[in-house]
Amino acid sequence: MNFSNRDIQRKFDLLVLLTHKEFALKYKRTTLGILWSLFNPLLTALVFFAAFKVFMRFQMENYTFFLLSALFAWSWFSSSVIISARSLVDNVSMIKKVIFPRHYLIAAVILAQMVHLLFSIPIMLIIAAANGVTPSWIWFLGIPLAIAVQFVFTLGISLAISICNTYFRDIEYLVGVLMNLVFWMTPITYPMSAIPENYRFIALINPLTSLMNLWRSIYLHNTISLNDLGVASFMAVIFLVIGLALFRRLEKRLDEVL
Amino acid sequence: MGPVIQAVNLTKRYPAFKSPPGFKEWVLKLPFAFRADKKPLFTALDSVSLSVKKGECLGIIGKNGAGKSTLLSLLLGTSHPTEGTLRVEGKRTPLLELGAGFHPDLTGRENATIVAVLLGLTRAEAEKKMGEIITFSEIENFVDAPVRTYSNGMYLRLAFSVAIHTAPEILLIDEVLAVGDESFQRKSEAAILSLIKSGVTTVFVSHNLEAVKKIAHRVIWVHQGKIREEGSPETVVRNYHQFE
Repeated sequence: MNFSNRDIQRKFDLLVLLTHKEFALKYKRTTLGILWSLFNPLLTALVFFAAFKVFMRFQMENYTFFLLSALFAWSWFSSSVIISARSLVDNVSMIKKVIFPRHYLIAAVILAQMVHLLFSIPIMLIIAAANGVTPSWIWFLGIPLAIAVQFVFTLGISLAISICNTYFRDIEYLVGVLMNLVFWMTPITYPMSAIPENYRFIALINPLTSLMNLWRSIYLHNTISLNDLGVASFMAVIFLVIGLALFRRLEKRLDEVL
Repeated sequence: MGPVIQAVNLTKRYPAFKSPPGFKEWVLKLPFAFRADKKPLFTALDSVSLSVKKGECLGIIGKNGAGKSTLLSLLLGTSHPTEGTLRVEGKRTPLLELGAGFHPDLTGRENATIVAVLLGLTRAEAEKKMGEIITFSEIENFVDAPVRTYSNGMYLRLAFSVAIHTAPEILLIDEVLAVGDESFQRKSEAAILSLIKSGVTTVFVSHNLEAVKKIAHRVIWVHQGKIREEGSPETVVRNYHQFE
């Protein structure tokens, strides 16, 4: 992409290069290389299919389709947060010896992880067709929209976690465990209707619920749930503001804690 | 013309390192966690003021641990002063730890591109300069191999070459003139001298007093976090010698 403003061009180039680095390094010394980006979502799908369809015999129509419509988005979120928790700590020499916008490191992790999600879209296309759903133009509008909202949300969370992890390295271990808890607390493997009425508020205050419901509305029902879009966007902006503020404040002392 | 770097009363304190408390100690202290206890601090730099004019080369000398590198990282902006103000006009190019930002699994070319953009070029500019960077670093045959396969000298030469080819305006150098073999050392010294001659402002930290006398226009002697003496290279270096 070409910009007329040199400074914007440079920042764009920097983000692209850092993302490319993050992505290229991931599979650099594997045999399958970039194919892993396709296999990863495919294998995840198979594992959950086996778990819920073969072993647990979940009684629900189109369960695989239902599950995957939220699972791929969740994978993008959780892997981004878990990896970016370490990314400041892992880039000490760069942070201490070169000046550049440090939050680009975090954005690059999330963008590199997004590749898995992009590879999962054709898989979803096939599964949708197998379940008798024909994707409409809603997909072209809804998927980029959902990606944008989720990117902003993930960036906010990851900025906060990564900068806190430079002060307390315990956080990266905590995140790994908490991520599991959040996974089961969010309606991903089960529908909202499966939660008893009294406890539904827990799912509703969970900002990931509306995000996952947004993905589901696009994939499963060929609609964009405006309600979920509104709540998810609102949450995303709030988290980004908090994350950025925390990052800006704490990065001033980064040289003392790294 | 006004100074390009203007620092007034720069002070940098670090929390003095103490080993993290054990779990028991931590629990015992918990009730007092909100009491503002005075944490021990280490003053690395104590109200240092300096200014550097455009095109000037300032040498900084002093013993190990005197605060030279702390001062340089403040000037660079990777570290923020605890007190004092700093104003810098222009793009700062660090020659601190060569190869910062290099990844062992990426090729020389990939690493050079990333670092060049980190240091202020656009990707297109970096790719245009790549020929020059590679020729200067003398690694033509290895540029598309991962840098983990490089010898130490090749690695440093490439890193040095990238940094000086990014159109620096203010060059901050920390003891990196001793790069590679003797012929490359001469070449890199000549490259820095020609950058200085072309009007690049330079701050230059070194233990190599001969190099300081040769390159610097003015020298600051830092001792125990303070400026002990400032003046012409000959005088300051002579007094520093006598002091030692």
